[in-house]
Amino acid sequence: MDASAVSAADISKLSDREKQELQAFVANESQKARIQQSVHSLTDICWTKCITGKIAGGKLDRTEETCVQNCVDRFMDANMTVLKHLETMRTTA
Amino acid sequence: MDALGASSSDPKTALMLQVRQEAAITNARQLIEKLNEHCFDKCIPKPGASLSKGEETCFTQCMEKYMGAWNAVSRQYIGRLQKEQAAAGLSGGL
Repeated sequence: MDASAVSAADISKLSDREKQELQAFVANESQKARIQQSVHSLTDICWTKCITGKIAGGKLDRTEETCVQNCVDRFMDANMTVLKHLETMRTTA
Repeated sequence: MDALGASSSDPKTALMLQVRQEAAITNARQLIEKLNEHCFDKCIPKPGASLSKGEETCFTQCMEKYMGAWNAVSRQYIGRLQKEQAAAGLSGGL
């Protein structure tokens, strides 16, 4: 990976408009990366929960797919429950 | 990586390309790392003197399955995010 493909001199030549465009682009890419990061960690968790048998083929079967979908939704529900409860603990303390 | 050759003519586009490329590499590396971990666990419970044909088949199937699971999680997660965003939008934003 050639990290110096775009030099600092190149960047200083950019117009303000281009700099703004780049900023928006990078913000967007960072959000994408954060979402992908969550997908990695959710896949990690849900694989352990849902793919419990022997590997007998390259495709997710129906049960496994449903389990994975439920796993994602319930994980997020659980996450939300924690946040909500923390909030009640904070306000009633 | 000759796509970056355009850097002198259009640094903005070149920079965008570079960012995208690095993001894609990070994403792929992470997928492979996790997949290796889980499939090794599943397919090679007792490492022998060499990788058997059966272990190899298990590994390639497991790989495909892990990627399938990744895609299923991605669809579900993004769908949920969008639903929540739409709901937040209706109730006047977060």
